[in-house]
Order: sequence, then C-alpha cells, then structure tokens
Amino acid sequence: MEKEYTPQIIGFLCTWCSYTGADLAGVSRLQIPPSIRVIRLMCSGRIDPLFVTKAFISGSDGVMMMGCHPGDCHYQKGNYYTRRRYKTINSVFESLHLDTERIFLSWVSASEGVKYAHVTKEFSDKITGLGPNPVKKEIFL
Amino acid sequence: MSKKIGVYICECGTNISDRIDIDSLIEEISSLEDVGVAKKYGLLCSPAGKKYLAEDIKKEELTHLVIGACSPREHEQTFMKVCLEAGLNPYLFQMVNIREQCAWMISDKEAATRLAIKYIRAGIKRVALHKSLEKIELESNPDVLVIGGGIAGIEASLSLAGPERKIYLVEKTDALGGMTNKFAQLLPHQGANLSIVKDKIEQVNNNEHIEVFTSTAVEDIHGFLGNFEISVTNQEKDSEKKEFKAGAVVVAIGFGLYDPKETPAFGYGDVENVINALEFETMISSGKIVLKNGKPPASVALIHCVGRKEKGYCSKTCCLYSIKFARYLKDKLPNVDVSEFYQDLCLPDKSDQNYFEEAKKKGIHFIQSDEIEIKDINDRIKVKYKSAEGKKEELSVDMAILAPAMVPSQDTPKMAEMLNLPLDETGFFKEAHEMLNPVATPIEGVFVVGCALGPKNIPDSIVQSQAAAGKILSTLIPGKKLEPEVKTAEIREEFCTGCQTCLSVCFYGVISFDEHKGISIVNEAICRGCGSCVGSCPSGAIKIKHFTYPQLYREVLEALR
Repeated sequence: MEKEYTPQIIGFLCTWCSYTGADLAGVSRLQIPPSIRVIRLMCSGRIDPLFVTKAFISGSDGVMMMGCHPGDCHYQKGNYYTRRRYKTINSVFESLHLDTERIFLSWVSASEGVKYAHVTKEFSDKITGLGPNPVKKEIFL
Repeated sequence: MSKKIGVYICECGTNISDRIDIDSLIEEISSLEDVGVAKKYGLLCSPAGKKYLAEDIKKEELTHLVIGACSPREHEQTFMKVCLEAGLNPYLFQMVNIREQCAWMISDKEAATRLAIKYIRAGIKRVALHKSLEKIELESNPDVLVIGGGIAGIEASLSLAGPERKIYLVEKTDALGGMTNKFAQLLPHQGANLSIVKDKIEQVNNNEHIEVFTSTAVEDIHGFLGNFEISVTNQEKDSEKKEFKAGAVVVAIGFGLYDPKETPAFGYGDVENVINALEFETMISSGKIVLKNGKPPASVALIHCVGRKEKGYCSKTCCLYSIKFARYLKDKLPNVDVSEFYQDLCLPDKSDQNYFEEAKKKGIHFIQSDEIEIKDINDRIKVKYKSAEGKKEELSVDMAILAPAMVPSQDTPKMAEMLNLPLDETGFFKEAHEMLNPVATPIEGVFVVGCALGPKNIPDSIVQSQAAAGKILSTLIPGKKLEPEVKTAEIREEFCTGCQTCLSVCFYGVISFDEHKGISIVNEAICRGCGSCVGSCPSGAIKIKHFTYPQLYREVLEALR
C-alpha cells in the first residue's frame, strides 16, 4: 500500500436543493473529500436505477442520491420517486448479493451546506472503510 | 461537420487560480478529442470577459463550448447569453463547476486539480453529445376565468380586470356575494360592515371588463397556461352553453359547513332551539331573536368547535363570530345570560384579543370545555360538558348556537378532477407549497384562493386573491409570448408500449394517452423537464432533452476515469 486509498463516489444531485446546498458548502469553505464527483440533474426524480448500476459498472465505489426534503420538491413529488427507486435498487442489490451499503440516499436542502459536508464525509469515510468495490473487478471488468 | 470544442477556464480573480493549477489542467485536457482551444481567462463574467468570449467563439469558429468556472447556478445563464450573441446555440455549452464544488471544498491543491481535470473532461465529453435546442414561443391569452363569485372571486376579478384583460366570473348561484350573503353583519372590530361587500359587487357589475355569469356551471376546462379552453352552461336558460378562452384560472369556490347531525351529541335537528350559526345570522337579519315558542331567550349557549375533532382542524373563524353573536345578544337583550363553550380560543389577528376582552367585560362567560352533549330535558336545553378541571358539569339554557367547522365545498372533488389538482388530507385543495407558494397549484396558470384552500376569514381571502392576481399579472402580460421550458421530455413512438406508467408519474398532467396510436404523448408546451417520467418508463421510450442517457452516462464515466 503506497498511498491511502481514495474511493470514487458519484453523487446524483438535484439542482434546486442538494446541488445548491453543495454550492453553499463550498461557499462556506467546508471541506469535502475529493472522492465525491457530482452529477447535476434538474430533479432527483430523474435518477434512473440504471444510473446507479452504470456508475458501479464504470468503477464507482459508492453512489449518493440526493434531493429536496420530502414535501419540498421543486417539481412537487420527484423525490418521492427517488425514494421508491432507492428502495427498489436496494432490493435488487440484495437479491444479487451486492453491497447495499454502497448506495446512499439523503435529503439536503439549499440551506444545508453543513449537512452536505457532514453526510458526504461520513459516506466517504464509510466507503474508504469498505475498500474498493469488489464488484467492478469480479463481475464487470 | 467536425467538432471544435472550446474550453475556457476562469481564474475567477484568484478564487480558482489560487487553489487549482490551471496550467496543468489545460495541458491535461487540451489534447482530448475535438478540443480546438483550451485557454484561461481572469474573470469571464466581467464585461471584458464576456466580450472576449463572444469574440473568441466567433474567431475560433467553435461548435461547442465548455466553461470551467463557478456554479452553473451562478453564471450559466450569463454564458448562455454570450453563446447567443456569438451565434452558438446556447445548449451546445456545458458549464463545469470547479469553484464551489472543487476549489473551495478541497484545500489540497493537487487533489483539487485532479478533481477539476475529471470534471472538465466529463464536461468536454458530455458537451460533444449535446444537441442544439430551440426556444419556442407561444401565443398567450391574457384573459382570466374566475370560478366562484364569493368575496375571493370578486376580489380576484376586480384586481385583474382591465382594458387589456377580460375576466369571466362564473358563479353557480343566481347572485354574487357567496357566503357573505348569508351573514347579517361582518366582524365590526375590523371596521367593516356588509356594505363593503355590496360595494364590491356593484364595482364588478359596473366593470365593462368583467363578464359575470350567474346560475352557471363550469363544464370543462382544457389546456395550459396562456391557452385554456373553457365551456360553461347556464343552469336556467335551458342549459345554454358558452365557450371562451383564457390564459389563467382562479378557483374561488369557497367552502361548505359541517353538518352537526353527523355528531348526534350536539342535538342538532333533535333538540328544539339548537340552531347553527347561519340560522342565527338569519335571525339577526330579521331583527327577531326568538325561540320556537316566540319568546326571546333568557339564556344562550354558544358552542364552538363543532366538528373540529371529527375534521381534524380548527376553522379559525368560529371563535370570533361566536363572540360577535354573544356581543350582539348582550346589546339586543341586555338581561340575557350568554356562555361560550370553547375548546381553545383562536384569536390570531391584532384586533381580536381586544374584541374578546371587551366581550368578557360585557359579562359573557367563557367556559373551556370538552365532551359537549346537548340534551332536551323537560323542554329546556341541557348542555353537559367536561370542564377544564376534568369535572362533569352541566348548564341549562333556552337556546344553543352551534359553530360548525368549515368544510370543502361540495364542488371541490369535481373541480379537482377537471383541473387535475390535488387535494390534501382535509379534502381542501392543496397548495403548491403551503408556506412558500400558497396560492399556486402544480398546474401552471391555475390558482386557488380563499376558503377553497381551507378555513379563513374575509381579509385573508382578499389577500390570497390579490396574491393570485399579482402572479397572473406578472405572467400573462398582454401581447407577450410565453417561452416554455426547452429541456422537455419526448416520447419515442417506436419504443412506447402504451403501458401508461408515465401518466401516473407526471404530476403536471403533461402526458396523455393517444388511444388511436396506443402510445403516450407529451405536451411539450407545459412539460417542466423534471425527468421523473424518464426513469419510470419500462421500455426506455422517454428521453429528456439535455439530460439524455448518453449524455449522463458519459459524464459519469469520465468523472470516474
């Protein structure tokens, strides 16, 4: 082991709440692990379960899904679909004996820069602890 | 045509250049496929920066543009305008956030630079898959349909009517005024009496820009913001049908009253001289406060919160009008004994507390109570209750006036279905956001005001009508065309199996089913571009412009490379 392992994490964020919250974290100069790569979407409801599998196939060690708090969706209820899809992905992963701990759902509002910094750090630490995603080597690569 | 992508990295003063090694970033990405130019600039959003960028786009004959700078929430629109000026379709541009979510978040310069390279590379690969998108412009009708001729509908009509805006005010009964027609007096402490309502009705009738339809029902509403098609029928004139167009709809269909018979304990309809608030208003109007036997009552009980527990909400107005009744009774029949049975007193507005204190000084009794039961004992009314101390007590009175909860109008479910509007758990219309967007609905161009949204008093209804009017006035400007969202969903006919899953997912009623073709159809004029339908389509038939699968997959792939 030459260097400390830095995981690669993809975060799918809605532009109205979570992405704005992430911006706020930056404006507040909060430190975020460099492992996080953010993909901006208009709504977390755009997150297709396939995105999550695609991210893992492409070499991601963890995937975050983030949207507005329930009831606050800019598009009224896109985040409810996100929540349902998150559950679906989890059960699919379970049935395939894949690690559901590598998928993470959180609600981050536009004003929750601190929460964004906190949850990303926590998730990144967890993924660092879990180590590289074995799936990408064994199955997909 | 071959691509020539221009990549511009903004130093943002020193905000970015201090924390990211821009030179090595440029070196890293300039050899990527299709990258024609890769440059840095001090402050791209400055007037000089925008000029430089526009000139460079033209000079270099760029086909695509990537800017690495601040958050797209900050300056994406700014640079889209620059693209337009330079003759580049603004959707052939990708803004990459290397400031807020990179430079400012990661203190280690080397790590920040590595991440910035990944982000910029993802932007370059994504932009190569972008397609030109064109703005569309839609004619929009500035006229407004107002449904309901109560105080809320009247106020909305008066606020909106003007030389360039016609208002169609549709009322199902034969007169304007709504529930206020049943009131004998308004709450005097707000400095108002019924003449203000009559004045407003007169203003409506005298306004040449308002067409009033009484005894008329709305049969059908179709369309979207700026382009609603409406048909109404007159209930009297042999169901005479009329059709017209409007750009927006204001729903002001008011409320109904809880039927106290639903809770037999209140004795309504069973025990003589137990009446409801509206019946008492009628008595006030007639000037005769009498019992069934023709004699004036010596004692009266006012029962608040009738139906509050059953409905699960406070109706806000009953405490005050019950105090109004009590004060009226004391003034009219000085020796009458008046008791108010309340669960919690609701006195929210600035003049309410004083109104209540004055009532107490007049000798009106206020009894906090629960578990009210009204019985007929030897031709007198007996009010049994549990006191605040938890004791069972009772009081005999000659008359009891019930203050029933305000409930949704009986027309609410039908109207909700016609306009595709959601109701909340109380059965009233649901706001787009109860706190932040209280008169809008999920359907653009449709607003709900007054008691159709929930119990409230006249001033609050007026506030909501004026609020909706303000929203409409700022959106439907006569002569101005509407520019709908460009990044809309699109259904690929050859993939659609007609399962209609997307219809139930779309919250805006944008998708309809074409029975003839057996597929779903998106009305792009009203699609908001959230993309919720895309992920729900089991056959992958829906695509959302500018957030397509290939574009996003590519972005994911490059961000991980």
